Amino acid sequence: MAEFTVDCLGEACPVPLMKVQKQMEKMAVGDVLIAQIDHSCAMKNIPEWARNNGHNVEIEEVDDGEWEIVIEKTK
Amino acid sequence: MQENAATQSQAGSSQIRRSKPRKKKKNQVPFGFLGLLLIAAVALVLGQKNGTLALFWVFGCCFGFILQKARFCFTASMRDPCITGSTSVTRAVLIAFAITTIGFTAIKYGAFVNGGQIPGQSYVMPVSLATCVGGVMFGIGMVIAGGCASGTLMRVGEGFGMQILSLFFFVVGSLIGASHMGWWTLNFNATAPKVFLPDVFGWAGALILQLAVIGLLYIAADKYEKKRMGNTDED
Repeated sequence: MAEFTVDCLGEACPVPLMKVQKQMEKMAVGDVLIAQIDHSCAMKNIPEWARNNGHNVEIEEVDDGEWEIVIEKTK
Repeated sequence: MQENAATQSQAGSSQIRRSKPRKKKKNQVPFGFLGLLLIAAVALVLGQKNGTLALFWVFGCCFGFILQKARFCFTASMRDPCITGSTSVTRAVLIAFAITTIGFTAIKYGAFVNGGQIPGQSYVMPVSLATCVGGVMFGIGMVIAGGCASGTLMRVGEGFGMQILSLFFFVVGSLIGASHMGWWTLNFNATAPKVFLPDVFGWAGALILQLAVIGLLYIAADKYEKKRMGNTDED
C-alpha cells in the first residue's frame, strides 16, 4: 500500500495523463497515486481513463485551480 | 458555503485514504458577481455605441463560459482517441457540428429564399494541397501547445501560465501566416476548386449528406471506443 505522487503542475494536456499512465504501470495493485494538476482539461481525461480501466478515482480541489486526482490501482 | 465544504470533505474521505490536510480556499463567489456586473456594464456601454457590438460581446462571453464549463476541447477530440481510446469529446464535437450544420443551413437557405445575398460565402475556401499540409501542421502544433485557438484562449483565461506563451506565439504565427497568405493563394489556391455543397447536391441533399457523414463518424467513434476500452459506462 504505497503512496506515489506525480507532480504535473504547469503541464498542459496530454502530459499529465501520459505521466499518470506511465506511473500506474509501475505500481502494484492497492497502491495509491496522487496526481497534482493545474490544467483543467486533465480533470476530465485522467479520471475518465482511470475509471474506464476500473480504478477507483477521486478528485479534490486543493486550491483555486489546483487539483489532486487520487487513483487507487485495483488491477 | 460551509455546508458545501463539509459535504465535500465527507465525500473526499470516502474510500481512498490520504494523509495531507486541505488548504483553505478563498471564496470566489464575490469575484464572480463582480465579473458579471463588469460584463453587463461593458455590454451597456457598447450597446449605446453599436447594438451589434454589444451582441458580439455578450455572445463572446457566453461562448467562453460554456467552453470552459463544458471542458470542450477540439484538441482532445482528435488526440484522446489516439492516447486513451476515449471518444467522448470527439462525439461531442460531432454533435456540435451536426447542430451547426442545421443552423447554418437554415440561415443560408433563409437568405437564399428571400433573394438576399447568402451570408458567410467568403468562408467557402478552396480545397488544395495547402489545406492538407496546413491541417497536419495545425494538428501537431495544437497537441504540443495543449489547445487549439479557442482552447488556448480559454485556458489563458483560467490563468494557465504555459498557454500564455502559446497564445503569444499563436498570435505571432497568425501574423506571419496572414502576411504570407497572398503567396499561398497565388501558388496553390488560385486554381483549387471551391466547393459549396448546396451548389452540387442541392440544399436538402447537402444537408442530408453532411448529417449522414457526421452520423457515420459518430457511429464509428462509438464503435472505436468500445473496441479500445471494452464496455464503458460513462455518459
